[in-house]
Amino acid sequence: MQLRRQPLSAPRPGDTRPAAQRLAGPLLLLLALQGAGASGGPEDSGWLQDAEPSSRLLSQAARAALHFFNFRAASPSALQVLENVLDGRAWVNQKKEYKFDLVFTTEFYSTEEDEKRLGQCSAQVFFRNEKPRPAVNVTCSQLIKKERRQEEDYHLYKLMKQLKSPLNAVSIPDSHGYIAPSLRPVWDLAFLGSSYVMWQKTTPFLQYYMSQISSVKQWKTNDDAIDFDYTVLLHEFSTQEIIPCRIHLVWYPSKPLKVKYHCQERQTPEEASGTEDGSAMALTELSNF
Amino acid sequence: MSLPQTPYKYSLTQPLYDWHPWNMKWILFFGALIGSGICDRETFSGHQVFRINVRNGDEISKLNRLVNSDNLKLNLWKSPPALGHPTDVLVPSVSLQEVKSFLEDHDLEYSVAVEDLQTILDAEKQEMQHNVHQELSSNCFNYGAYHTLEAIHKEMDNIVKYYPRLVSTVTIGHSFENRSMYVLKFSTGEGRQRPALWLNAGIHAREWVSPATAIWTARKIACDYGKDAIITSTLKKMDIFVLPVANPDGYVYTHTHNRLWRKTRSVNPGSTCIGTDPNRNWNSSFGGVGSIADPCSEVYHGPYPHSEVEVKSVADFIKKHGNFKCFIDLHSFSQMVLYPYGYTATKAQDADELDMVARNTAKALAMLSGTQYRVGSIFSITYAASGSTVDWAYDNGIKYAFSFELRDTGDYGFALPASQIIPTAQETWLGLKTIIEHVRDNI
Repeated sequence: MQLRRQPLSAPRPGDTRPAAQRLAGPLLLLLALQGAGASGGPEDSGWLQDAEPSSRLLSQAARAALHFFNFRAASPSALQVLENVLDGRAWVNQKKEYKFDLVFTTEFYSTEEDEKRLGQCSAQVFFRNEKPRPAVNVTCSQLIKKERRQEEDYHLYKLMKQLKSPLNAVSIPDSHGYIAPSLRPVWDLAFLGSSYVMWQKTTPFLQYYMSQISSVKQWKTNDDAIDFDYTVLLHEFSTQEIIPCRIHLVWYPSKPLKVKYHCQERQTPEEASGTEDGSAMALTELSNF
Repeated sequence: MSLPQTPYKYSLTQPLYDWHPWNMKWILFFGALIGSGICDRETFSGHQVFRINVRNGDEISKLNRLVNSDNLKLNLWKSPPALGHPTDVLVPSVSLQEVKSFLEDHDLEYSVAVEDLQTILDAEKQEMQHNVHQELSSNCFNYGAYHTLEAIHKEMDNIVKYYPRLVSTVTIGHSFENRSMYVLKFSTGEGRQRPALWLNAGIHAREWVSPATAIWTARKIACDYGKDAIITSTLKKMDIFVLPVANPDGYVYTHTHNRLWRKTRSVNPGSTCIGTDPNRNWNSSFGGVGSIADPCSEVYHGPYPHSEVEVKSVADFIKKHGNFKCFIDLHSFSQMVLYPYGYTATKAQDADELDMVARNTAKALAMLSGTQYRVGSIFSITYAASGSTVDWAYDNGIKYAFSFELRDTGDYGFALPASQIIPTAQETWLGLKTIIEHVRDNI
């Protein structure tokens, strides 16, 4: 079963933004993480609390926070998904920017039926107009001990090293929703990379789900990393559009994830041709990737 | 007569052995593990799976030593040894004696989970071949799998064949590419337009679990008539219509070209983009919020209301019938029970009653496996959506208009694993019966 391949423009080999701008991103993020209350609370002028935020809006913000959390944790064996929003408050200002204060429960993405455990997170999420991606400050309860998580990641890494070529798989999952057990780690790693992209792209009006890995361009495993270049189809709510994103990541257990992406947006008459690029170096090392 | 369960039992107790009937990739899995040739079938005759319970850190290191020893060629089947869950180890026949001695000498607690791996693999392969053969001879439709349009239509005929006095088929029209709009009618009465219920499915092509649930439900209704009190009493005074694939062209396209296609396949003059969103094409605030005038959009409402022949066929049939009391539309995904309106935030006149029914529906559904569904109007719970099925039904006198968004909440989304079809259908059934019962008592 072939997926219709959208003609993808070739991904640019490197980030073409000037160096200062490239650095600004991660630095600003660090500041956001450290300055928890500093970004402003409801006492700040111009913020109006939404008395009855819709559950959809709260879930959307919670998912953005969780995508960011998963990206930072960089642990394909410990990916978490939203279970339920327990408490949420929302503020909006005159510029139509949104702020959220959330408490939500999570569960493991790859959960065995009998191992269902709920985690809990609290997060502040700030959608600003100038900066497309939401600023997130998130803390989650430790669902699994760090050592165990590192062991599982390393085990996954070893399994992945044994895989000769998931390149043969046309799409993951296949049309019937099936993912071969040997390819499950590939899916989880792809989900990790997609988490970065989905975090970047989420707005108060748009949220994303990973639908399918539609192709694998490159799968390189060596002793110090997995180098994975693939195209994923993201499903966009509420437009219902399917957005192909080319993602290139480098991962090693317990190291931060390095990722670049290039999404092909559907052209609409009002917008100019839309393509979106983004990349994340490890926050501590800015190696040339 | 019970519904045919999926014949692919998982013979091994650990969920890691994810058997799937449609490909032989499980062979690759074992091949990768053992590290030998993956094309020819390796024999696992005499190989056993030991289940070892480690009780402390000392036992973990002993087990690790055992597993890592080169000459024994053991393989861990899941995660490395850890407290709290048993470890499964595949032991080749040549190493059996040595492993047993080791375990016993070191006082490690173990049991033999699989006596002979090859026997199980042979049995599984036989079952698969048998089932494929069965399907080809069209005697046994696997309700736990996804099917082509042709297979679904064929099974609809089979249902009529098995229950001729209760069930008949009705062709209410043809799609843009001339495929039949094929409906099952459940009726215990003759001729007259008895009060009726419409179950719509597969209007969005990629939402495969919707037609899968609908065909299961059709079989269930037929099966349970005469046995289940709610269904039997309802069918005594009402007819039920089931349209498992409301968008046949789109559905076929998801099989042949693009698994994630949503719309119809009609041509848009002046545009290279194909299709209209059939759930924005109904004559209820047509062209309003939550629908787009661009043919390339996934929520393109079409040139005018009911421009899509698939939509027109259903709308005309229902209007002509004139006595429908309930309309239920099955979609995926998100896990929600929704009611009008989608085109406005204004509460529908019967919103309170519909909300109560929807809440009871979600509660009943959750009884089976704890699956949580959210409840509310389309506009408030999801997004604005104009020209939808349920808004049209409601504004045309069909008070009990509900939309389901079935499993899941995004982990797999549209490509929901086939293993979840029957669990989804079973729990949805409990929800549907709640609605049916309420309708029965209030018409």
